[in-house]
Amino acid sequence: MTRTDPISRHENRAGLFLVFPTFTLMVLLLLLPTLAVFALSLTDAELGSTTFTFLGLDAYSDLLSDRNFLRAFKNTFIYVGLVSPASVILGLMLALLIEAETDARGFFRSVYFLPVVALVVAMASVWQYLMHPSFGPINLFLNIFGIASINWLGSSDNVLPALAIIGIWQAIGFNMVLFLAGLTGINRDLYAAAEMDGAKTAWSRFWVVTWPMLGPTTLFVITITVINAVKVFETVATLTQGGPAKASEVLLWSIYQEGFVFLHIGTASAMAMVFIVVLLVLLLIQTRLLEKQVHYT
Amino acid sequence: MKKLLATASMAIAMLTSALHAQTVDIVVHYPMPGFFKNVMDQISTEYVKQHPDVKITFANPSPTYEDGLQLMLRQAGTSEMPDVSFIGLNRLRVLAERNVGVDLTPFVKADSTMAAEGYSERLLNLARFNGRQVGLAFATSNPIFYYNADLVRKAGGDPDNMPKTWDGVLALSAKINALGDGVNGMSYRWQGDDWMFSALLFGHGGTMLTPDEKKVAFDGPEGLASFKLIDRMVKEGKMPAMTSDAAVQSFTAGKTGLFFWTTGALRSVINGVGNKFELRTTSMPVIDAQKGRLPTGGNAAVMFTTDPQKQKAVFDFIKFASGAYGASVVVPGTGYVPNNDLAPKDPRYLGNFYKENPLFRAGLNQMELMIPWYSFPGNNGVKVTQTIVDNLAQLVEQKVTPEEALKATSSEVQKLLPR
Repeated sequence: MTRTDPISRHENRAGLFLVFPTFTLMVLLLLLPTLAVFALSLTDAELGSTTFTFLGLDAYSDLLSDRNFLRAFKNTFIYVGLVSPASVILGLMLALLIEAETDARGFFRSVYFLPVVALVVAMASVWQYLMHPSFGPINLFLNIFGIASINWLGSSDNVLPALAIIGIWQAIGFNMVLFLAGLTGINRDLYAAAEMDGAKTAWSRFWVVTWPMLGPTTLFVITITVINAVKVFETVATLTQGGPAKASEVLLWSIYQEGFVFLHIGTASAMAMVFIVVLLVLLLIQTRLLEKQVHYT
Repeated sequence: MKKLLATASMAIAMLTSALHAQTVDIVVHYPMPGFFKNVMDQISTEYVKQHPDVKITFANPSPTYEDGLQLMLRQAGTSEMPDVSFIGLNRLRVLAERNVGVDLTPFVKADSTMAAEGYSERLLNLARFNGRQVGLAFATSNPIFYYNADLVRKAGGDPDNMPKTWDGVLALSAKINALGDGVNGMSYRWQGDDWMFSALLFGHGGTMLTPDEKKVAFDGPEGLASFKLIDRMVKEGKMPAMTSDAAVQSFTAGKTGLFFWTTGALRSVINGVGNKFELRTTSMPVIDAQKGRLPTGGNAAVMFTTDPQKQKAVFDFIKFASGAYGASVVVPGTGYVPNNDLAPKDPRYLGNFYKENPLFRAGLNQMELMIPWYSFPGNNGVKVTQTIVDNLAQLVEQKVTPEEALKATSSEVQKLLPR
């Protein structure tokens, strides 16, 4: 097929025509706003003031020495480090258990999927009650076993793990559903073949067949989980507002606070650009590096 | 027939446009619908009843003062801008410094009846910055002392005769805390903003900044005493480190004995407590009987419209809402103190209400002590508030000494002040 081939030229034109609406929307709704945010990040724009001056990359160099922003960075990564592995592993375990269950499969699937469809802000209030230091059911339960009450959200040492528990609870259901979809895609014959070849226990069949065959699903699940965890905001905004003393300050909360509470739109835009870059880097690492190792066709 | 229809429709069109010329549409925006929705509905219904030529529509209310301010800053000068909004008293300065909103000074000067209607100089001053009358105070509050009379009795205290000093309060708190069963002695609402901290600072007779607003002034003895007092609340009064929500929930659930917060929350605390225990209120413990003052919380009505005809109607509405009638709706509906000097004395408005509702008197009795909620100058004004709260959090968690907390707070705040 050459460039002059009339059919292919026609197809190209049709292709362009079909891509056009999506492309326009992407430019209008994603690229242009991002560029606008970048432009704002080079200024000292403030909400409500009519003038601003061009500062160049000052906001970015200030961020490097901004203790609060670095703290937010660190906290976000600790949060991601706590939430991602746990919710991926637990999601996979649940999927395997539910897959093995025959009678009540639908029931369990719905129960574990509920947190995904529940309103995060409403659920955060429920968690606030569960984790209440004086009368929260979690502490009352711990007290039965003689464990002293834990100050979940009010202590700077516990607040990130406490938020991570809520994050894990949110993510498990979604991960489970994704893994269930992945599991149904595995050819049953592979298990029989593995058994013939000496993989006698379920444990060894998992490692020989299930785990490798789930590779693409796992990659996708990890990507989604990490990105969602980096974007943590609602629970922080409703439960801790970044406190106590910045112990739960995370990136999105910092951006919101800087732009809409402190009214520094310029700085907030610079933070938002850094945030976008972080997300892009994460995406690139996962798609470019890992993609090569998970496909077997 | 056709001709007749045409004439009729033309007549109707002319009639409606004539009516339109007479009616004034005002768009009103307010924050915190949980506190203010019913109050706003009632006031505007009454106003429209008395002024049939005015039509009031509400813009979507904002959840907090900060959101409300943000919305007004964003929409200022656009066609979507509401004509009047209710802005937190500590955020008025942001509007004044950015020259957003209409200066009410000429309106106040032109109106000869203001003083007779209960607008004292003290009251006008709550919403005035550098000679600019940014708004008229609508709902005002001060911090009060809530307590659980059942727990006080159980711990050997006398609910009719509560301690008047912090020494007495902390000792009582320790006794209540010793009751066990997950009961905490006290909560002081230091979280969220610097308002309750300023109650301690002003209580000692201190100020946030020097009179020229160039330097931190809370790093002196009054400030240190305030930080030390919070430290003692933790050490002697056994106050736990809680999030703001958890502290409120703990008190309304009957698990905290003594609680210090705004009188503006009184109605919602009453509703939260229900019949679980006997709720009482009283004045804040006195720190310095001569120099001690208390900060004023709440919000002010601010005019945004630049259309002269609308401005007249808006100012009239603002006066109605912040006047004696407005107060008679706001006070029972929320717990705020009357921002108007006439309303509490006149039986037409609140005279009888205060006789029948003793819980509401704690805030009223402290009105003489109220000074403006200090708002910091410059474009980091809002950030300063957060800095103070973060340092208090470390003190309450006992990660720093009061001296260290004071030093860190004052040096961080100093850096955020305009140079």
